[in-house]
Amino acid sequence: MKDIPKVTGTPINRIDGIAKVTGKAPYSMDHPVKNPAYAILIKSTIASGKIQEIDATAAEKAPGVIAIITHQNAPKLNVKGGLRGGALLQSPEIEFFGQHIGIVVAETFEQARYASRLITVTYDKKEPKVDFDNLADQARLPKDKEKADARRGDVQKALSQATYKVEEVYETPIEHHHPMEPHATIAEWNGDHVTLYNSAQIVNGAQTATAATLNLKPEQVRIVSPYIGGGFGSKGGQWANLALAAVAAKYVNRPVKLALTRQQMVNSVGLRQHNRQKISLAATADGKLTALVHETTTHCAINDEFIEPCGDCSKVMYDTPNSLITYRVVPMNLILPTYTRGPGKSTGSFALESAMDELAYKLKMDPIAFRIKNEPDRDPSNGKPWSSRAMVQCLQEGAKAFGWENRKFEPRQNQQGNYWVGYGVAAGTYPAHQRPTSALVKLKRTGDHVAATVELAAADLGTGTYTILTQTAADALGLPIQNVNVIIGDSDLPPAAGAVGSVGAASYANAVNDACVKLTQELVTKSGKQFFVRPTAAQLMRSEKITDFQTRVDSKPPERAEDYSSHSFNANFAEVAVNKSTGMIRVNRFLAVTGAGTILNPKTARSQIIGGNVWGIGMALTEESVVDPRWGNFVTRSLADYHVPTNLDIGQLDAIFINEKDEHVNTLGVKGIGEVGIVAVAAAVANAVFNATGKRVRELPITPDKVL
Amino acid sequence: MRAFTYTRAKDATSAIKLLAENPNAKFLAGGTNLLDLMKEDVERPNALIDISELDLSEIKPIINGANQGGISLGGLGKNTDSANHLLVRQHYPLLSQAILAGASGQIRNMATNGGNLLQRTRCPYFYEVAMPCNKREPGTGCGAREGINRMHAIFGWSEHCVAVYPSDMAVALTALDATVIVRSANGQQRSIPIADFYRLPGNEPEKDTNLMHGELITAIELPKNRFAEQSYYLKVRDRASYAFALVSVAAALEIEGNTIKQARIAMGGVAHKPWRALKAEQILVGKEATEATFKRAANAEMADAKPLTHNAFKVELGNRSIVLALQMAVNGGKA
Ligand SMILES: Cc1cc2nc3c(=O)[nH]c(=O)nc-3n(C[C@H](O)[C@H](O)[C@H](O)COP(=O)(O)OP(=O)(O)OC[C@H]3O[C@@H](n4cnc5c(N)ncnc54)[C@H](O)[C@@H]3O)c2cc1C
Repeated sequence: MKDIPKVTGTPINRIDGIAKVTGKAPYSMDHPVKNPAYAILIKSTIASGKIQEIDATAAEKAPGVIAIITHQNAPKLNVKGGLRGGALLQSPEIEFFGQHIGIVVAETFEQARYASRLITVTYDKKEPKVDFDNLADQARLPKDKEKADARRGDVQKALSQATYKVEEVYETPIEHHHPMEPHATIAEWNGDHVTLYNSAQIVNGAQTATAATLNLKPEQVRIVSPYIGGGFGSKGGQWANLALAAVAAKYVNRPVKLALTRQQMVNSVGLRQHNRQKISLAATADGKLTALVHETTTHCAINDEFIEPCGDCSKVMYDTPNSLITYRVVPMNLILPTYTRGPGKSTGSFALESAMDELAYKLKMDPIAFRIKNEPDRDPSNGKPWSSRAMVQCLQEGAKAFGWENRKFEPRQNQQGNYWVGYGVAAGTYPAHQRPTSALVKLKRTGDHVAATVELAAADLGTGTYTILTQTAADALGLPIQNVNVIIGDSDLPPAAGAVGSVGAASYANAVNDACVKLTQELVTKSGKQFFVRPTAAQLMRSEKITDFQTRVDSKPPERAEDYSSHSFNANFAEVAVNKSTGMIRVNRFLAVTGAGTILNPKTARSQIIGGNVWGIGMALTEESVVDPRWGNFVTRSLADYHVPTNLDIGQLDAIFINEKDEHVNTLGVKGIGEVGIVAVAAAVANAVFNATGKRVRELPITPDKVL
Repeated sequence: MRAFTYTRAKDATSAIKLLAENPNAKFLAGGTNLLDLMKEDVERPNALIDISELDLSEIKPIINGANQGGISLGGLGKNTDSANHLLVRQHYPLLSQAILAGASGQIRNMATNGGNLLQRTRCPYFYEVAMPCNKREPGTGCGAREGINRMHAIFGWSEHCVAVYPSDMAVALTALDATVIVRSANGQQRSIPIADFYRLPGNEPEKDTNLMHGELITAIELPKNRFAEQSYYLKVRDRASYAFALVSVAAALEIEGNTIKQARIAMGGVAHKPWRALKAEQILVGKEATEATFKRAANAEMADAKPLTHNAFKVELGNRSIVLALQMAVNGGKA
């Protein structure tokens, strides 16, 4: 029998691509259920206070209305069940503008929406705390121990002694995830079991949190999420709407479809918080860092804390004897912030990597040379050796590929027609972890034909999970990819880690590989033979005439993984053109050079990186959610107001991967690429804008008015 | 969305009649603005008269009358067709550029010329029914005046409303002295010069235009002009496409030798209507087409600007944009 060439590491097309472009891939609202009713959430129109009265008389009489559920008639739920952001209709208290205060269920979506507008609510209003600029000086120490002040050496002394330093404040605005598929759920009860069709980045997490909230056992809740129309963190932890769909379905004794409108997304499923970051850097004249201080002030919900780890990059990026990383937080009447792509790292690196660029300029040093000069040989935060670190290689190869030598050191030296052109660089990183994941592999033989089914409760956000798992299993079993069927996104399957924090690929691929290796071993044992060259599972199924065989593993990271500090690293290069008259900015070229260990599929990996780059460009130039400081409502509620980049904003994108073998991080050497793509993009763009115009913008997004 | 009746009009006369009979009825053209607003409960018609299939989409030369030698755009012509029509491209490239600077390809394929002129402000307080807005609900106050007003007016606003009018097409039409042709319930035809079509907010911000209920826009007429060689539509916005203008400038010049014989400038994103920059125009006429002249003209126009809390940048941006648009116009649209 001829050997099948390995497919891992080759750029095969997405397994789910055709289903998606032909509309056959079912997203949350597409699953067929019988006789569904439609629910819409009613939202508060104040940010702080208490509901006095809800008058639903007119709404109850509106055509098609089946039920109206508010805190007055909602069932008792467990508000500490693990869903994020509160708003579970358990009390009349209002903590933020747009908090859910009720559900209207009707025969059609439009009837529900119409009726929801007939409801009048009287409030006992309180002055809301929504103006970050006014509240920032009331920020307190975080409750989260991970965010306690982290101090090394004596930064004060180093700063006071240094001739070369930068002390600046960098601001990043509130952003929203705005995945293409807004959050949506179909809830269908069967006795005391409920099935929830709902996209989830963490399938098992959605199951346990919803079950706990509904006062059920996990096995009474099934989450079905085969496809996810983007999530970016907003579908990691789940939110009240998921449980409320189940509540509504129970209440009306029918399947219920509950979808958020785009406008409702701004105050239903978290946000990236406004961060005010002060960076203080000090260096010797020859460019050796002597101090790095990263102080973040931000906001959280009134009764719950979440803080983006903005100081994370500063912990690991550069070698410095003195370092201080702090967080302060002020509770505000806004929805709970949450993980957003590159959480803490993308916002934090904007501050850190801008400051590095500012200091390099003061030192009259090339910003790449300055970074290399401060490259740490171990993780400065804990002294562990790197499992692998390709930072310098990324910078050097990137510089070559990008044509960095054409950059002018001084700003405003590169004029092309009515444009200033500039180059910028920034370094990014994101931690690499493998999380416990189980996988079940089943083989079936018909004649000579062997087919595999791989099952685990993994998630594919549109990132390529189906594809890389198909590749991994095909290689590990000795099968062509057509004979491998990957089934994921269902809490009935073996439990798996979430597709969050760049752990998906490492956790899933290693689990599937472990399962396939174990299965092959079991087949060898079963055969009772000894082999000089170990046959593949597929060969064994044939030679031993086995028709059905399966095995399951509960896969864990290698024991020694914790002895190392494991991160993906990348170097980001931007060329921008800034219109001299109008300040409009175009990113002509963007290059990311990434060291992320084994690349399972260069095509899906590239899509991940350039997707992150595009969002990073949005973060740099266009994206901002604006709160009215009087009332706490967002004035940017649609995609016409919340600007993501368009095709015309994006020039040429390129992604290069360093050929990196990491023998410590996990069996397959996979470090993950979902987050690192966005991390240092905003800083690279901002640094390029400075190089082009001489204008240092420390407040994102860099809209035309800021560079005039 | 509120329940409404839907009628597809067979001809203009019956469409106008149906509308005139019901003060809460609205015409439905491309629907790209009206339907969005209905979903948000901002517009609340109880009847829609679909006019999209009326035979009013032709683009043709005007053979006689006041605008003889010019062209007529059907009120129900699609934005895409208007922008790409040979007559428009050759004789009114400014209009073509302005239309193409607006919205997206998909929206322009649906959007009609009449609907474009009547699109409503994008002020976020207008769009969210939980907010005060005198335009949406007279007497509730203006949310933007003391609120978030980066996108708002710097000219001609009143304490009742600081919204800006969003159309790009109308800015070019204003520079080009277009006339809006409407038909009323009594069968009469009215010609409204575009300068009289739009209003400043004053005490009645709920009124965007001087069109009366029951009037149908049948055509837009453009007079013959000599601007085709030297005109430019500049749109400054927060992203390269699919965003409303921070400031836009439609500039058209007729230059003989190096002397400006005629100048037309209109601005978008700065007022409750397309803002004709008459002061700037006056300064330009008879002068040499130099950067210094352009700067003087721009300064003269922008001197009257009254910015709000968050939009002071529009004064400087408007100033620079007028200069750049004029330079681009002189160079036949090239930088
Ligand atoms: C996301 C987005 C971005 C956009 N960006 C831009 C932009 O950058 N620049 C820009 O200029 N525009 C922009 N637009 C607006 C777009 O140009 C308008 O929505 C469109 O031109 C409206 O035309 P319509 O035919 O769809 O009008 P409709 O929505 O059908 O109607 C609009 C109004 O006009 C009335 N009406 C329509 N036709 C007639 C008629 N013949 N006689 C009398 N009354 C009539 C209707 O009753 C209604 O009140 C954008 C729209 C969207 C959704």
